[in-house]
Amino acid sequence: MIKMIETDILVIGAGPAGSTAAKHAAMAGSSVILMDKKSEIGSPKRCAEGVSKEGLKKLEIEPSERWVTKELSGVRMVSPNGTAVNLTEDKVKLPEAGYILERKVFDKYMAMDAGRAGAKIMIKTLATGMKREDDQMVVTAERMGEEFQIKAKIVIAADGPESRVGRWAGLRTSLKPKDMESCAQFEMAGVEMEEPDCIEFHFGSVSPGGYAWIFPKGDDIANVGLGVLTTMTDKSAYEHLLEFVENNPATKNAQAVELNIGGDPVGGLLKKKVTDNVLVTGDAASMVNPLTGGGIISGMLGGRIAGQVAAQAVMEGDYSEKGLGIYEELCERELGKSFEKYLKAKDYLLSLSDEELDQIAEVFKDSDFETINTAEMVRKLVKISPKALLKLGKLF
Amino acid sequence: MIVKEWCMYCGECAGVCPRNLIEVREISLNFNKEECKDCRICVKACPVQALEKGDD
Ligand SMILES: Cc1cc2nc3c(=O)[nH]c(=O)nc-3n(C[C@H](O)[C@H](O)[C@H](O)COP(=O)(O)OP(=O)(O)OC[C@H]3O[C@@H](n4cnc5c(N)ncnc54)[C@H](O)[C@@H]3O)c2cc1C
Ligand code: SF4
Ligand code: SF4
Repeated sequence: MIKMIETDILVIGAGPAGSTAAKHAAMAGSSVILMDKKSEIGSPKRCAEGVSKEGLKKLEIEPSERWVTKELSGVRMVSPNGTAVNLTEDKVKLPEAGYILERKVFDKYMAMDAGRAGAKIMIKTLATGMKREDDQMVVTAERMGEEFQIKAKIVIAADGPESRVGRWAGLRTSLKPKDMESCAQFEMAGVEMEEPDCIEFHFGSVSPGGYAWIFPKGDDIANVGLGVLTTMTDKSAYEHLLEFVENNPATKNAQAVELNIGGDPVGGLLKKKVTDNVLVTGDAASMVNPLTGGGIISGMLGGRIAGQVAAQAVMEGDYSEKGLGIYEELCERELGKSFEKYLKAKDYLLSLSDEELDQIAEVFKDSDFETINTAEMVRKLVKISPKALLKLGKLF
Repeated sequence: MIVKEWCMYCGECAGVCPRNLIEVREISLNFNKEECKDCRICVKACPVQALEKGDD
């Protein structure tokens, strides 16, 4: 007979979204299992590791020197011909300044917090299937050669861009290629950045459908990567990365010590994230800023809502789609509205040729910015580019 | 589907497979061959070209 474990809430995936969901569900008094197929939570990383200070504050997470590698003081944006727009703290107010994390450590710490709140953590445990039985979900799982089942009142699918769990429950979490950035990144040493305290973005044909980045991690170390839409190029993300590294003055003498790859779901918030007994959160629900590709903070915000809604439903004994429906509303309020705007902004950005990007950089490079948030950027763009007005209107 | 030795089990292929046929384990990939419609979306999505359609 296959072993069966019972719990109120099962969270599948211990990335930032899943660990946050598990922590908040456990804090609210539910019995919680948090499982991940990895033998080491957080590793290998699939991330450039940038987060905003504002975001951590919102999540009430104190930055720790154990997982912050670098405090940032600005942003550098580079157009295809090398024209740079530097937005540094000495020139502008930086409400969205942030940190570069060590994700391998950060993710583990977030899982530890969930454990401290009362969640039971199961590592090296793969969910292999799921079915509904007597008003509950039964998940089959495998750990070190042992197969067993977990019966849960509610399953929170936080399984990242693979997003298979939601589909087992009939939700449409799979992504079209146009909505998934294909990413490749090196962590490198010997990087010679112009502005070593700034995150750097490179736009245009260097990375079709996305952008390239250099995110400093202190000293001469940086994450150097890019994301492409496979609908817009015949080369792989890795091939584009090799070209970028070879041609960029900051990286041409640098050496890679790590290769990271992965998908980043940038199509905007998944419409239907709830069904009977199941909530989808984080990357699995495309809780990623469609313009920047950043999904750590937004996934954790979504995860917090998922954990709280699930725990409340357990208390009330209603795990139906209707009972969990408030999740959609809260996610829409927290993330959905801003994502709509960022989607439009992305659409505009992707419509620009290398020449147009160069022209815009030329104008921006001498501009005065009072703030550096994305909305302010777009407002400025609209002023100088008629196409921006057409594509973005008065959104921002 | 032939999975090359340099696959890094990132799971991007699984996320775009419209039929949910790819199981990504920590260090192996399983395909449900019977259901595969040979659309090759997974092949194109891979950031390191680690998938190749075999003759099966
Ligand atoms: C190259 C790259 C760079 C990025 N850079 C940034 C950045 O700088 N800043 C930012 O904010 N965001 C960035 N992102 C996005 C960010 O990494 C994700 O949004 C974030 O990790 C999402 O968290 P998550 O918890 O939803 O999913 P994940 O972190 O992907 O976690 C999902 C977990 O589920 C587990 N899992 C999956 N299936 C199963 C299963 N069947 N059984 C058990 N466990 C399972 C996986 O092992 C994994 O640990 C980047 C993404 C990429 C690809
Ligand atoms: S996308 Fe490529 S590297 Fe990633 S799991 Fe699939 S085959 Fe492997
Ligand atoms: S070829 Fe298409 S159907 Fe077959 S595994 Fe790949 S994405 Fe799925």
